[in-house]
Amino acid sequence: MSAQPIDHELKKGSTELLILSLVESRARHGYEIGKLIETRSQGTLSFQAASMYPLLYRLEARGWIRGRWVEKAGQRRRRYYSLTAEGRKVLAAQRQSWRQFIEAVHRITGMDYA
Amino acid sequence: MPDWKEAIRTRLAPAKLDPASEAEVVEELAQHLDNCYEELQASGIPDEECHRRALAELEDRDLLATGVRLAQRPPSPTPAIGIAAFKGGYLNGVIHDLKFSFRNIRAKPSFSLTVIGMLALGIACNAAIFSIFNSLFLHPLPFAEPDQLVDLDETAPKWNLRYVGVSCPDSYEWRKDNSTFHSMAFFRGVGYNLSDRGRAQRADGAQVSHDMLDVLRLKPLIGRNFAPEEDKPGGAKVMLLNYDLWRTMFRSDPKVLGRILKLDDEAYTVIGVLPHEAVFPDRAALWVPLQADPNNISSYYLSGVGRLRPGASLEHARADLLRIHKAMISDGHRLNEFTFPVLTPLRDRYLGDLKTVSRVLLGAVGILLLITSVNIAALVTMRGSSRLREIAIRTAMGASRGRIVAQLLTENIVLAAAGGAFGVLLGAACLRAMVSRIPVVMPQWITFSLDWRFAVFCVVMTGAAALLFGLAPALQASAVDIRGSLQGTAACTTPPSSRRTTFGVLVVCEIALALMVSISASLLVQAFRKVLHTDPGFRSDNISTFRINLPDAAYDKPALKIAYFDKLLTRLLALPGIRAAGATSAPPLGGDHWGGQFEAEGGRDAGPQGENPEVLRVAATPGYADAIGMTLLQGRTFEERDDRPDSPLVVLVNETLAKHFWGNESPIGKRIRQPGAKDWYQVIGLLRDEKHDGLDEEVKPSVFQPYSTTISTVDHNDARALSAMTIILRSSMDPEMAAGAVREIVRGMDPEVSMYRVETMAEQMDRSLWTRRAYSWLFGVFAMIAILLAAAGVYGTVSYTVSQRTQEIGIRMALGAQPAQVLGQVLLDGMALVSIGVATGLAGGLWAMGLLRTLLFGVSSHDPLIYVAVALGMLCVGLLANFVPACRAASVDPMRALHFE
Repeated sequence: MSAQPIDHELKKGSTELLILSLVESRARHGYEIGKLIETRSQGTLSFQAASMYPLLYRLEARGWIRGRWVEKAGQRRRRYYSLTAEGRKVLAAQRQSWRQFIEAVHRITGMDYA
Repeated sequence: MPDWKEAIRTRLAPAKLDPASEAEVVEELAQHLDNCYEELQASGIPDEECHRRALAELEDRDLLATGVRLAQRPPSPTPAIGIAAFKGGYLNGVIHDLKFSFRNIRAKPSFSLTVIGMLALGIACNAAIFSIFNSLFLHPLPFAEPDQLVDLDETAPKWNLRYVGVSCPDSYEWRKDNSTFHSMAFFRGVGYNLSDRGRAQRADGAQVSHDMLDVLRLKPLIGRNFAPEEDKPGGAKVMLLNYDLWRTMFRSDPKVLGRILKLDDEAYTVIGVLPHEAVFPDRAALWVPLQADPNNISSYYLSGVGRLRPGASLEHARADLLRIHKAMISDGHRLNEFTFPVLTPLRDRYLGDLKTVSRVLLGAVGILLLITSVNIAALVTMRGSSRLREIAIRTAMGASRGRIVAQLLTENIVLAAAGGAFGVLLGAACLRAMVSRIPVVMPQWITFSLDWRFAVFCVVMTGAAALLFGLAPALQASAVDIRGSLQGTAACTTPPSSRRTTFGVLVVCEIALALMVSISASLLVQAFRKVLHTDPGFRSDNISTFRINLPDAAYDKPALKIAYFDKLLTRLLALPGIRAAGATSAPPLGGDHWGGQFEAEGGRDAGPQGENPEVLRVAATPGYADAIGMTLLQGRTFEERDDRPDSPLVVLVNETLAKHFWGNESPIGKRIRQPGAKDWYQVIGLLRDEKHDGLDEEVKPSVFQPYSTTISTVDHNDARALSAMTIILRSSMDPEMAAGAVREIVRGMDPEVSMYRVETMAEQMDRSLWTRRAYSWLFGVFAMIAILLAAAGVYGTVSYTVSQRTQEIGIRMALGAQPAQVLGQVLLDGMALVSIGVATGLAGGLWAMGLLRTLLFGVSSHDPLIYVAVALGMLCVGLLANFVPACRAASVDPMRALHFE
């Protein structure tokens, strides 16, 4: 199946969930988050820096993720984002509502949930 | 890699972020674009296209600016400082600063270890030496109101005696007529053979007047004090035990009261036990009443201690006693024309000789601490300067000046605390090592312990220096051009002239101070060498000595004493390996003194007002001069025929006495006598001067008299003193090997007589030189440390300056300067500072070395050879410390240096 650009509104609604999911297991920097979304969606989803960073900052301002500058030997410092306790609760709630939403769509349309 | 920052800033401008937030966003986005660019490049796309596509990430300008503004991302949390700190976050801030400090300290291990090591060294030396000084001179004596306690003695300049002792009549009159003392007591130290139901042991005791406990403000632990009537001549034979003796010999048994003990075979009743605090007179295990005879006018054998009335000064008391003393002259006490009361604070009398040494040592370690502080200040300043770029970055990212100052403060505090902790531990170890080597000549009431308050003071002082200099770069940073620093130019340009001047002054100070310590050390070591090479007038090798004290009760007649020593010496001489044996009342370095005045027949008459030095009188058996190894210059030594009670009175004299009475004439056949006495002593031999009181002490005029005739002709008191004799054995093998056999002989002759103070002459010689050896050695060590620290300081400073001038040097070399010229220039700059330091140090040395004069034993405090040698040495050290960085400067590659741009 070839990747098709996804509807803008649909993408916008899911972005927060995607980002929160990606920083759940470990802290990641912005470029890595963007790249992971692109590769794991096999090109279906992609974000420009101009839209992704404001979103990261917004999530941070809400206290769902925390950004921290990290220095590693021989490298420039980078800002890594990790999930906060509050973010974890939000992520759980969002996962639940998305699951319910997809199941509802599935029941109505009879489409397979891949 | 393209610079995206300007493009990002333009796109962010509408968001109107505060500079700190903007800097962080710009940095983060620029990294994102870098990654995009690299990835595109890797896939083979031309650079220009890569650049365009990366920038396309920011295509939606409005989205970026609006999104960022709406997000209103807070700047990185800044730990609060000051009042705000109490609103929370303070602890987090401190923990963060501490973590950051530890990381920084670990990141620069050589810098951190150098600072911690120098601090530890400086603090350890200071803490140890100050603790000794404190214990000796500042720690209060263990008595109530110790400042009121005064040592009482008499001085006789015309007899060439600093302390002559108090005479019995004087002690009575002083006590009766004074108006400035609350109480006054007199005493003398005496050794006894103490026996209890057959068990005999040697015990140091004191004969004390009944008011001693009053003066010390102490009460007996059990039992009672001496009654005044027991303290009169012929009074009851009673005794007080000191706490330790009561505990060890009688297992703290309270029933000891009323028990009869024997002192030198005479029965004494125990009437009390002294409290633990009764440590004065020093090392007296028991007290018996002094029972001084007020009519005994000739003997000056008492020591005194008085307690001043509240409000009475030492000056008043001195005038008071002088008044009484002079009034006695008209009552027939003619000797009071020659003697004067001398009053000294109690501590100074016993430790006064150590005062100069301790102060000078304290000065030396103080200088060491100063050098340490200067060095650390220089190091921290350099490190701070090299961190300007880091500080600038953090300022650019919104860190406030307070925030940066707090961070630098934490870092320096961590370093100072680590150095301080190590220093205190090291100081305690040094003190323990030094105290364990102090011989037993120190009064018992001195206890040495580390002065923690002073250790803390040292840590604070040195830490303060580090903080002060560490903060300077933080404060400078606010004035630094942030952009310039970030671009790396600040790190490569020549340091500002103000900083160079600061470093220059620090180097000059270090060199000058180190030079002063080195000059002192060289002078003292030179003096010590001179003392060591002094001819003592006797040979200390293979000599062992011990003391015998014959109890008066069993040996009440001179003939018995003469017979005992005769027999003992004969038996000792029969031992294998013993080459010579003799007995003396006052061996060299033994601290014994029996003195008197003499006049020479036909010699120059000193007259009553003239100078008539005190002459050391030594009673000796015929074998003594041979055993101790004294050199006979003229005439002969004693023979058997001189050592009989009825022999003609003959003496041996030393060079100093012969010179005093007869100048360069031969003394053999000349006669001397005690002033006004009828018996003349004929001089039969001239002995080379011996250093009786110590290798660095003056030689006293001395007279050696045969033991038998002496003890038969002196008064009762002197005869009693002559019951105690020191036996000198010269053996052809290790002196300690004969000790067992000697002990057997002594025990076999009389079990009631014990031998004590068994030691070799070499040990006594060592002990007599202990103080001088200790401080000369300590000074040498301090000088080495000072030189090392100064050299490290010079090396560090010049290295830093060179590293800061790399670019300037590169430009010079690019313009044609030769490496040799650069080398010369750097060396010249460095050596100019070293030379100024050396000149300053020499001037300081010339001024300060006067303080050492009393310790120098014939070495001039301005000995030019030492000054020149030390200055040259310091110049060499300075040259070496300059040479390495200068070579580094000369090997700068102009291309690389300029590449910094």
